[in-house]
Amino acid sequence: MTVAGDGAEGALAISTRGLVKRYGSRTALDGLELSVPSGVVYGFLGPNGAGKTTTMRLLTGLLHPDAGSVDVLGRPFGRGDRRRLFDVGAIVEQPSFYPFLSGRENLRALAGSGARVPKGRIEELLELVGLRERAGDRVSRYSLGMKQRLGIAGALLNDPRLLLLDEPGNGLDPAGIAALRDTLRYLAGQGKTVFVSSHLLSEVQVLADVVGIIARGRLVREGSVAELLASGGVVRVRVALDEVTRATDVLAGFAGAASVRAPGGEPGTIEVTLDQRRSAEVNRALAEAGIYAAGIEAGGDLESVFLELTGEGTTTADGTRTLGAAG
Amino acid sequence: MRLVGSHLRRLLRRPATWITLVLLAAMIALVFVALAATAEQAASQPGGAAILSLLTFPIAYAFVLAFVIDIGSLFAVIYFAAVAGSEWNWGTFKNAVARGESRSRYVLSAFVALALMAGAGMLLVFVIGVGSALAGAGIAGVGTDGVGDRDTLLGLPNQLWRGWLALAEAGAIGFAFATVARSTLAGVGAGVALYFIEGFASLLLPDIVRWLPFSAASSVIAGADTTGLQGGAAGTPLEPGVALVVVLAWLVGSLVVAAVFSERAEITG
Repeated sequence: MTVAGDGAEGALAISTRGLVKRYGSRTALDGLELSVPSGVVYGFLGPNGAGKTTTMRLLTGLLHPDAGSVDVLGRPFGRGDRRRLFDVGAIVEQPSFYPFLSGRENLRALAGSGARVPKGRIEELLELVGLRERAGDRVSRYSLGMKQRLGIAGALLNDPRLLLLDEPGNGLDPAGIAALRDTLRYLAGQGKTVFVSSHLLSEVQVLADVVGIIARGRLVREGSVAELLASGGVVRVRVALDEVTRATDVLAGFAGAASVRAPGGEPGTIEVTLDQRRSAEVNRALAEAGIYAAGIEAGGDLESVFLELTGEGTTTADGTRTLGAAG
Repeated sequence: MRLVGSHLRRLLRRPATWITLVLLAAMIALVFVALAATAEQAASQPGGAAILSLLTFPIAYAFVLAFVIDIGSLFAVIYFAAVAGSEWNWGTFKNAVARGESRSRYVLSAFVALALMAGAGMLLVFVIGVGSALAGAGIAGVGTDGVGDRDTLLGLPNQLWRGWLALAEAGAIGFAFATVARSTLAGVGAGVALYFIEGFASLLLPDIVRWLPFSAASSVIAGADTTGLQGGAAGTPLEPGVALVVVLAWLVGSLVVAAVFSERAEITG
């Protein structure tokens, strides 16, 4: 599936065709087809074991595919094309450092490999990620959030055109996540492509322009956030407690029984999974049955779309769906 | 050069570098203190003259160097394996690969940096050893006239160069083990096990064991094994010239294994 309007193949920052990767008898990627347009923030979502990290490893040359092809920044990326990574910055899984070196020394060590790093770049990046004050401290004394920020600085060392970040929000507090969001949006504004895998769906919803959802090694949906939300919207209806059962029946007749549920944590609330633009029709169906809604909220969320597409949600005894296995 | 320089800077900041150096220096100083302290008793016992000769120059030069090579080999195995394994354990090798660095170039640069550090460390410990021997001789009342022996001093650079190769070869064994195992612990364990197995096996199979890495390393310098820990302790050691060729073969072989493995490895951790 290709993002609408992404144009020619050359405009893609990442393109994978029929990508297959097996670990023994287990197939991690089963014909993955990704199309990541240049200059966007791309949210890469999937449950644990869906193949997100394997994809990241293939895109950074840590692994090699069993079948299929990868194009990075418009050119084929294979075993002999390691220099293509000079234009790519990455954090795969958790950021990795020498614990006995300081943050600044770790960046210097990293700059000793791969593409040459301009003088002054390290200080510039320490400032960007807010670590200048602690740059002289040993990394072993850093918090998880500080290590994550240092990892982002490391990924930006050679001013890459493509940034690959695996769960960059891990360990960050809300302020850190907000700062990360601003930094990534700033980088996208500079024309860089930011490819982010995350399990923080609400974060991706706010941050990403385009989202790809992967399950069992295959891409199950790719598109702009707006498109995805429209296709998997939810309309929430609040009615009087004594009318919940009847309203549920009416809405089941309108949208289908499988689309209607009553979240246990919110008495009087019924959720209908359908295009949010049809909320007025929901209201009319209830009114025609003599039920007057106390409130109707139309608005999808990425989590609902994700759960529908991946089938990874679990239903608790009270009927609430959770992201159980998602990661 | 940029990569070797980067590895060297890291090694200088690494606690293991200094711990290894201090331990080796302390051991050699301790040996000479012990020799000096027991010299008077030893002189009156059978074979005591041989012990006293270890404090006598120029023989002491060969003893110090042989000691540095023998015990240094064990330290080199551990140190090289620790550094190579930690690149995998900490994910720093993964970082370099993801930055587009050549895998084999990275691994071989790390080895070159380690070998340079081992060379510098060997020189330093040798100097400390000679100083300790001089001090020991003074305590034991042994003359130090031979310290300036011209022939010995002229031969020292060649002996030191050979010793450095021996240390690098021993380190390369640990380095290759740790790279293949992708683990510090496994690399150190396998390297140390081989070191001692060679030592014990030399009692049973001396003609085979003398061709193995640590035994060959202890034979590259004239004077051979002095500690009795290694394969050179039993049987006829290799002639130094032959030992040098064998050491080079083990060194190159280990590095080829490490480089090929790192090129082909799937980096999943």
